[in-house]
Amino acid sequence: MNRPFTRKQLLERAALGSAALTLPGFLAACGGGDDETAATTQAAKELADRLRVSNWQLYIDIDEKTKKRPTLEQFTKETGVAVDYFEDVNDNASYFGKIQRPLSQGQSIDRDIVVLTDNSRFPSLLIDKGWAEKLDKDALPNISNLQGSLASPSFDPDREYSLPWQSGMTGIATNTKLTGGKPVLTIDELLESPALKGKVTFLTEMADSMSLVMLANGDDPTKVDDTAFTKAIDRIQKAVDSGQIRQFTGNDYTGPLSKGDLAAAVSWSGDVVQLTLDNKDLQWNLPETGGDIWTDNMLIPKGGDAFTASTFMNFVYQPEIAAQIAAYINYVSPVKGAKEAMEKLDPDLAANPLIFPDDETLSKVVIFDAKALSNEDYIERWQALIGS
Amino acid sequence: MGYLHRHRGLVPYLLLAPGLAWLAVFFIVPLGFLAYQSLQSGSFDFGYAFDWSFGNYWEAIDRYHEHLLRSLIYAGLATVIALAVSYPLVYWIAFRGGRWKNLFLLVIIAPFFVTYLIRTLAWQSILSDSGFVLDALRTVGIVEAGGRLLATPVAVVAGLTYNFLPFMALPLYVALEQIDARLLEAAQDLYASKVAAFLRVTLPLSLPGVFAGTLLTFIPAAGDFINAQLLGTPREHMIGNVIQSKFLELIDYPAAAALSFVLMAAIVALVAVYARSLGTEKLTG
Amino acid sequence: MSSHITAAVRHHALTAYALVAFGYLLLPIAVVIAFSFNDPVGRFNYTWQGFTLDNWRNWDAVPGLSESMILSLQIAALASVVATVLGTLIALALVRYGFRGRSATNLLVFLPMSTPEIVLGASLLALFLQLRIATGFVTIVIAHVMFIISYAVVTVKARLVGFDRHLEEAAADLGADEWTTFRKVTLPLIAPAILSALLLGFALSVDDFVITYFVSGAETTFPLFVWGSARVGAPPQVNVLGTAIFVLALAAALLNVVLQNRRAKGAQ
Repeated sequence: MNRPFTRKQLLERAALGSAALTLPGFLAACGGGDDETAATTQAAKELADRLRVSNWQLYIDIDEKTKKRPTLEQFTKETGVAVDYFEDVNDNASYFGKIQRPLSQGQSIDRDIVVLTDNSRFPSLLIDKGWAEKLDKDALPNISNLQGSLASPSFDPDREYSLPWQSGMTGIATNTKLTGGKPVLTIDELLESPALKGKVTFLTEMADSMSLVMLANGDDPTKVDDTAFTKAIDRIQKAVDSGQIRQFTGNDYTGPLSKGDLAAAVSWSGDVVQLTLDNKDLQWNLPETGGDIWTDNMLIPKGGDAFTASTFMNFVYQPEIAAQIAAYINYVSPVKGAKEAMEKLDPDLAANPLIFPDDETLSKVVIFDAKALSNEDYIERWQALIGS
Repeated sequence: MGYLHRHRGLVPYLLLAPGLAWLAVFFIVPLGFLAYQSLQSGSFDFGYAFDWSFGNYWEAIDRYHEHLLRSLIYAGLATVIALAVSYPLVYWIAFRGGRWKNLFLLVIIAPFFVTYLIRTLAWQSILSDSGFVLDALRTVGIVEAGGRLLATPVAVVAGLTYNFLPFMALPLYVALEQIDARLLEAAQDLYASKVAAFLRVTLPLSLPGVFAGTLLTFIPAAGDFINAQLLGTPREHMIGNVIQSKFLELIDYPAAAALSFVLMAAIVALVAVYARSLGTEKLTG
Repeated sequence: MSSHITAAVRHHALTAYALVAFGYLLLPIAVVIAFSFNDPVGRFNYTWQGFTLDNWRNWDAVPGLSESMILSLQIAALASVVATVLGTLIALALVRYGFRGRSATNLLVFLPMSTPEIVLGASLLALFLQLRIATGFVTIVIAHVMFIISYAVVTVKARLVGFDRHLEEAAADLGADEWTTFRKVTLPLIAPAILSALLLGFALSVDDFVITYFVSGAETTFPLFVWGSARVGAPPQVNVLGTAIFVLALAAALLNVVLQNRRAKGAQ
């Protein structure tokens, strides 16, 4: 595996990197300074005084010494827009449950950007209900830096309302101490091998768990039909009934996995990057038949300032900034060129396939069908499976 | 009613007014809204409409009576165990605690300073399959070889018991603490054994505390969802998990509301039966 | 001879049990405290890597964490006091008076405890939106008081039910008016119940997550922070703060006992 870093080292490197990224540094480093200056000197629209962002916790770079967030500081310095940064998204469904009432009554939720994951139905729900503002593409020339594999998700095919913040992949984490040193690489083994009985967990997220099983069944998770859905869910049900699957978890599989209560877990790449630093027996792999990729998307809720929000999105889509963010949070960056920028910051991170997956890996992950995510019947059957 | 007789008319209402007003505005009104929601039908995508949809209630009972029953059983078990565990402890604090009583009470609620999630994750760590607790239990034979405690009904009930223990302990303490030790002395002077003194003097006098503690433990435990989620398998999921799922994932507010009322009705019914069997006059004065 | 030994055993058996019971109560706390000294390489704090005092030295390194703890303590202090006062009044009314609507009031007291938090929180949020009350500190306190009142009522009632009215009557016989009697006789005698209600209310408030999540607006309480951070791994500073508050509270209680002892000794 890769050389481990202490958290301190990670942050020192991030801080070093950000020190070089002052405004002149930008223009010099970018080379293509035109895009940058064009966006910031648009006289036609006015930037708001404040940008209000709701994001997941610990999901942006932090300088632990100053307790400030370098990316946000730089944004403020460059544009004069102060950032009110709230870390109040801790679960897609709960956050949506909180904001749906004011939005449904046409009230603003006092945010310009919210971040929701597309392995849940909520980004598409927000868009379909008309509760999302359109991105201001004129302020977003850096949208061309978006990775090709993420350019056209089914819930927002033209990327008119959403833009990825960070991605993660779903695969299988193995505690090799319990499997005789070999990682679990197939869903078949996960679901049916008696050696793993009672030591396997799946994720509560329908998109993640079902994608993996459907791929193993030879079906296409990007276009879910009833037969494929039923086949996959029945297969999982059998494993639940037999006691093969121990539990359905959110990311609370991390504890039992570290402690050796689990031999294998359907899990998220970002978590295991962190777990392996403390436990060398752990390994993460995509199943042979493929896994899924999910993305936390930035959306502009109704009442938010689309111009200011889009300016911010443009800012973080510069490869250097994207690398700075990815260096801290260790998830998959959606920005092309971030890997190269990372090589200057931290070559080891740049070489980590879980943070910068190569094209071959990216070709083996899919995005779950957004329509299936909103299908009430599917959701009910899935919830019944996981206990409710 | 003693010496407050001449104000009897007005005083109780004055005492009740501030608290009830608070509850009226901030509980009854939301509850009314919830009741209204429970009689709606439709879906989030296409909108809800109020149409006296009592079918929601029937459907709730029909589909989830198993979860409901399980919740009541788990909560009941947790309550009984909590009572058994706390009573001797609280007795010790009340009669032997001396000047340190308040300190011990603080220790009882200490776990609440680290939040529900952290406590439960700590138990997940303690009860780990390969931890020393499980090893000890396997050696003694309580757990079979290769068996586990996590992701079993035992873990869920244990989690419930632990998380609601202070709710049993503190009301119990309140009742036990006021028992005059001289009553026990008197009983013994009259040749009662320690056990008889306990059964005939202490226990009856502590019943209001038992009643209070039982309620404060059973009622919230029945609606809990966290323990089942973190410490159980799908087979252990409680009605609280269903309500979470209906509200958050399915965005089916009428179903969530109807289920909530069904749960509340079940709890109130059980409490009424329980109060009657213990003799309400003794318990509520 | 043997009866002495059995008596001694029985006398100490209860103390031994109390010790075991306290051990059980504090076992998870011990784990939390232990892992506050852990030095993990990654973000998760599950595997023991090595002892360090860094987390304690840098106890304030996580932005927003200590602010959330202070907020939680403030809210808990305020909400528990208000709820205990309101609840005590209700308990007095219920136990000592007959009035119309007594059983309805009894029922009303149980209902908030039995209502699932998620639907209660969402409905309360709907109410605040309707009344145009901005969500934040005030709404959190309002919500907490609302659900703590019931616990306070039930706790204080447990004391009032067995209350010996003769003491109050004696005071009246000696010429005290009702208010003085209440202040000097009743209140001191039900003080342990009020204290217990306060402690219970404090614990409920400082630990609440679901209802708080809905009505918190832009504020973050300690539980909200912790639940949010658990996705990427709760930092060891969470353990540090939880431990610190617990230790501080214990120290305060201990100090109180010591002072009481001094006062008692001084009076002799």
